[in-house]
Amino acid sequence: MKPLILQGHERSITQIKYNREGDLLFSASKDNKPNVWYSLNGERLGSFNGHQGAIWCIDVDWTTTKCMTGAGDNTCKIWDCETGKETGNIPTASSVRTCMFSYSANMAVYTTDKAMKQPCEIFIIDVRTIDDSFSRQEPILRIPISGSRVSSILWDNLDESLITGHENGEIIQWDLKTGKKINSIKEHDQLINDMQWNKDCTMFITASKDHTAKLFDAETLMLLKTYKTERPVNSAAISPIAEHVVLGGGQEAMEVTTTSSRAGKFDSRFFHLVFEEEFARVKGHFGPINSVCFHPDGKSYASGGEDGFVRVHSFDSSYFEYNFDY
Amino acid sequence: MPVPVPEEPKSSWADEVELEGGALPPSTTEVFDNGIKIVTEYKVTEEGKKVKIVRTYRVEKRIVSKSIALRKIWKKFGESANDKPGPNPATTIVGEDVYMQFISSKEEDNKPEDEGIDKLKALGDKNVVKCRNCGGDHWTSKCPWKDTILAGGKLPDDKKPAAPGGPGAESNKPGGSKYVPPSLRDGGAKRTDGPNMARRDDNYCAIRIANLSDSTTETDLEELVKPFGPIHKLYLAKDKQTGLCKGFAYIHFKFKNDAAKAIARLNGHGYDHLILSVDWSKPMNSQ
Repeated sequence: MKPLILQGHERSITQIKYNREGDLLFSASKDNKPNVWYSLNGERLGSFNGHQGAIWCIDVDWTTTKCMTGAGDNTCKIWDCETGKETGNIPTASSVRTCMFSYSANMAVYTTDKAMKQPCEIFIIDVRTIDDSFSRQEPILRIPISGSRVSSILWDNLDESLITGHENGEIIQWDLKTGKKINSIKEHDQLINDMQWNKDCTMFITASKDHTAKLFDAETLMLLKTYKTERPVNSAAISPIAEHVVLGGGQEAMEVTTTSSRAGKFDSRFFHLVFEEEFARVKGHFGPINSVCFHPDGKSYASGGEDGFVRVHSFDSSYFEYNFDY
Repeated sequence: MPVPVPEEPKSSWADEVELEGGALPPSTTEVFDNGIKIVTEYKVTEEGKKVKIVRTYRVEKRIVSKSIALRKIWKKFGESANDKPGPNPATTIVGEDVYMQFISSKEEDNKPEDEGIDKLKALGDKNVVKCRNCGGDHWTSKCPWKDTILAGGKLPDDKKPAAPGGPGAESNKPGGSKYVPPSLRDGGAKRTDGPNMARRDDNYCAIRIANLSDSTTETDLEELVKPFGPIHKLYLAKDKQTGLCKGFAYIHFKFKNDAAKAIARLNGHGYDHLILSVDWSKPMNSQ
């Protein structure tokens, strides 16, 4: 396969996401301009200019009208996808680490870092109408986190609860009506970099610095599967059509300069969802992969790396013909 | 998908004269019926060289849902506001081919290697080590015959009775450190008939075909001689510069009978308006 290489960023990619139909690919990086691309031919639709700091997270609603970014400049911004204009701006007390629209996109959540004597906090906001008063609007719910900070977040598909992944490897489920913990588990030992749903939001996969990715049941937080590697996993995604997961990682960015790209193992690794066994690899990046995601049709996937490139891979027929021996 | 093909500046002086004066030809776009679009652009690089850039695109039509179609006609914004329709080569490039490397399960991966090692271990020194002195399965330096008179003789019981006795013959033997060419070993005279004849046997299956036309190729030749029997080797003499046939070829048959048949049939045969002359190939040293 010939990947499309998208070179719109000057610094490392932090998160990439497809919209619901998969025709657009949103990419956020540590330079301050998130980009949006046509996933089919790699054409850049535009960039969202306005942030002053590293963008840590990006999300798009299900109608692809609104896009949300959180950045290190202590703001969380809402953008209009069609024009690229900034429509809403929420100033925060510390940098915004994660953000996500709820399934209906009536609400959105963002979390702030524990920094500058500010605690880590979860904010739930109403995003139905975005006008001039938006930045002064009070959040619907504020949950201060006393322990380890939130490093990744997921809405459940009924907009009733939240799942947060924490720096110490903890996973907590929150009830939104009361703002209380429903459930919490600690299956990871280190920072959870990324969490992603499967297609029907019944399971989610976590990617952790402790060299594993794990599959959990969404309702009970029961550990279902563990995918072991020998390096930190920065991102993991579940194929919407096959029983495959893709893991992206590599050693930490600070150690990259002291290892060769061959030894660094910066390839995307494909595991079987059920048998937890690796069956394929795809090379390409020359830095660790920070974010991977499957196209919603499952026929291609994209990866964004520390090297600042986004690579969009369309699978060959060999991938679809491959049968896992068991 | 775009496949940019940067081209060298034109080398023809006539073209350079035409382009002189700073006026670059306008960029052209050709659209073909089969969905191929070729865009030709001219520009001056930083070093002042004029470059022609030809990009070939395949235009694809896809039927998509309304919402996607609507998004396709959105105007570009932000950093891309000034981009033309289609991917901008500055931000989007098609990468080199990468392949998905499929991994069979790890146990299987390790097995063959281990088996190989086990096999070698089972063999022990038997076939791996061979003594250069006596051919036994031990290191040469540990040969029990090392310091005896037999050192250097092939197999102790083989040639010894055949070699004539006497001090003269003994000095001729390939012993000690002195190299003796094979033709002189065991008394040069002895070799001339017997073993050499046998070795030249393959020469006797070789035939020489002359008076071939210069357009003959190896495939033609193969077709010509194949019906006679299996071929061991085929050599067609070709001119180094032109690559054309020099007019003769050597064919080594596997069997002598086939070679004889070929000579009988092909000698005087008309091929490519020329009459072939075919005979046994003469041995190298006699030429």
